[in-house]
Amino acid sequence: MTEYFLHIAIISALHIILALSLNLIIGYCGQVSLGHAAFYGLGAYTSALAAIHWQASFFLTLPLAGVVAALFGLGLGIPTLRLRDDYLAIVTLGFGIIVDLILLNLEVTGGPDGLVRIPPPQLAGVDFRNKFMYLLLVALVVAFTLGLIYRLVHSRHGRALKAIRDHEMTARVMGINAAAYKISIFTLAAGLAGLAGALYAHYITFINPESFGLHTSILVLTMVVLGGMGSILGSVVGAGVLTILPELFRRFADYQDLAYGAMLIALLIWRPQGLLGTGKISQKFSLAKNRAKKGN
Amino acid sequence: MLTLKSVHSYYGSLHVLKGVSLHVRAGEIVALLGANGAGKTTTLKTISGLLKPRTGQVEFQGEDISRLSAEAIVQRGIAHVPEGRRVFSTLTVAANLELGAFARRDHQAVKKDLQEIQERFPILRERARQPAGTLSGGEQQVLAMARALMARPKLLLLDEPSMGLAPRLVQQVFAIIRHLQATGTTILLIEQNARAALKVADRGYVMETGRISLDGTAAELMDHNEVKRAYLGKGYQEVWED
Amino acid sequence: MLLQQILNGLTAGSVYALIALGYTMIYGILGLINFAQGEIYMAGAFATVLLLSAYKVNFFVAFLFGMGVAAVLGLILERLAFRPLRGSHPLVPLISAIGASIFLQSLALLLFGPADRAFPLQFEFAALDIAGVTVSTLQVAIFVTALFFMALLVVFVKYTKFGKAIMATALDQDTARLMGINVDRMIALTFLIGSALSGAAGIMMAIYYNTTYPRMGLLPGLKAFSAAVLGGVGNIPGAIVGGLLLGVAENLGAGYLSSGYKDAVAFAILIIVLLVRPKGLLGGRGH
Repeated sequence: MTEYFLHIAIISALHIILALSLNLIIGYCGQVSLGHAAFYGLGAYTSALAAIHWQASFFLTLPLAGVVAALFGLGLGIPTLRLRDDYLAIVTLGFGIIVDLILLNLEVTGGPDGLVRIPPPQLAGVDFRNKFMYLLLVALVVAFTLGLIYRLVHSRHGRALKAIRDHEMTARVMGINAAAYKISIFTLAAGLAGLAGALYAHYITFINPESFGLHTSILVLTMVVLGGMGSILGSVVGAGVLTILPELFRRFADYQDLAYGAMLIALLIWRPQGLLGTGKISQKFSLAKNRAKKGN
Repeated sequence: MLTLKSVHSYYGSLHVLKGVSLHVRAGEIVALLGANGAGKTTTLKTISGLLKPRTGQVEFQGEDISRLSAEAIVQRGIAHVPEGRRVFSTLTVAANLELGAFARRDHQAVKKDLQEIQERFPILRERARQPAGTLSGGEQQVLAMARALMARPKLLLLDEPSMGLAPRLVQQVFAIIRHLQATGTTILLIEQNARAALKVADRGYVMETGRISLDGTAAELMDHNEVKRAYLGKGYQEVWED
Repeated sequence: MLLQQILNGLTAGSVYALIALGYTMIYGILGLINFAQGEIYMAGAFATVLLLSAYKVNFFVAFLFGMGVAAVLGLILERLAFRPLRGSHPLVPLISAIGASIFLQSLALLLFGPADRAFPLQFEFAALDIAGVTVSTLQVAIFVTALFFMALLVVFVKYTKFGKAIMATALDQDTARLMGINVDRMIALTFLIGSALSGAAGIMMAIYYNTTYPRMGLLPGLKAFSAAVLGGVGNIPGAIVGGLLLGVAENLGAGYLSSGYKDAVAFAILIIVLLVRPKGLLGGRGH
């Protein structure tokens, strides 16, 4: 039983990283990525392949997974966020489909069967097959993610980001390169999703493209909206709730996507700030209705 | 014809109109003067239904229209020419004119009105098939006013019709306003160009920070020291005079 | 070979163009990428297939029925998922559209199951051999039907009162209201038209590939959006040109590069257009 709870905790923690990183995109780019699961998958496959083919240590393949996913994020962010950020959702949706297509068709990724026998992390004297130890490892990355976001928000760049978030036009006039900041945030978020992917691959030890499809991207999006767009604590809670609830309602697994779809619409209409959104970003999404055009 | 009774309007939480009362009688030209941000445009938007007053009443021909939609208000006979002309730039000039009559059901009469308007403003006939965005500023203003006339309004709301126009065109716009009055259209007019406005107007109101601060006949306002100092200014070139 | 690919491409492209018109019109009037467009396409196909399987109705009746179901679904979506969110930050209706898309897809999966359904056709199509190029009368029928709908739309938008009112609403909602145009009704009308066209597209694709399944709208939806971007989002002739070009490019890509990545061509085009000419070939308009 403990094993089972530890498993849920690990999956929750991975979802927390995904939700936090997607929330960064929503909060600071004002856009949504539907390819978040693809970055997650890129991280998972990168790390797994490096470990299988080069016998590289997990502690090298983990950052590698992050960097590879981030590079893809950069490549996608530059054309998309430079001029028309409202295309990000559909471009990332397409990206997700392409990544899926490639994972299914390439020989090296094992096609639909995916990769098996991914080695668990090895570190002198620590057995990461022990779920508790693995949870600690994942928790460390969650802490790293939270620390990174905290540092980001409270740095000079954080102030620029806030300026872009609140008044993009004014920020641009002040000489802040809004597009460059948005691309950086998107790249960072993709990298974080890549880290989560690596952690997932070496935990589950077998992966196939199914785990990294649109379903997962929608799941993460629902977590963020449920918790509250722009709320860090909200993402943590949203990820927890939407990891645990499906476990409780296994019998209704077929209705999961139906529920997520309905939930997204219902939340936006009746509670756009989500469970915990109270901050500036949440207000942007909920109170916009009252913000009228300037005139006299 | 039109009566506003202590109207309060808001943009979101911003309180813009703080108890505006005014009236316009049939056949009159009434000028609404005041500095930028005084609430003149908001007053017009509240009348035409783009903005709903939070409290207070807007009555038109004895009917309370303050809760009606903008579409319903157009059908009652109020046409609003918004600030900055706002012609539908990628649609043709002819399409713009036809849309002016969108609310009307008397299709034969609409056709006749279109003919008449094109006769009165030949430029609109010459450019009929051209996108409205390709017209010059002055031509766009003429189009915006003609478009409003296609609704056969009883009351015309004009927001800064001379803004950004060359002096010669300003003259032309005011000539149209005079002509409209002569043909029985009632007009409520906002103008930065206070002197020109008072020249054509019968009466006027001065607005300050969301309230009416002064009202009177055009002649009274023209002589009023406050108005002279604030809105007429010395040495203002009288370009609109023939 | 080349001519064959172009012909196949034009057939698929004319269908993409129909969906792209829906995207472009809705984007033009609301600034919203309607993610559920692909599901409306799917719904149109399912409605027709189910009606034809259950009752002995005339094919053309079933076709119109499918378009009608798609149109009504579009209206319901607009009313329930988008209208309550009007005036919010643009991201909010976008996420709502994503929610609607996933909801409809899983609903179809629950109702109809994941299996493919063949299209119960009542007549046969001939294959014509013209100078080494095989053209089926089905391809001709699809292409001509799609062109007919496009022409109908262009005439509607350019020459009718309500068509012009839709364009006016897309350009400037406040001023449209000052003309006495009911903006809500024009937005609903746009959804109705866009959805009916997508429904027609879905039915034709279901016949072409002889298959109907819940996720059938995903890829054509994405491709049609790429087509709309290629032509310039918000631009009606752009959507038509973009759709046709994309269909041809995709088939050429499949023929000369690799058929396994046929579906990736649209996406590559989307990225290239965003990099090189973000306003599209004919220039964007609206939001």
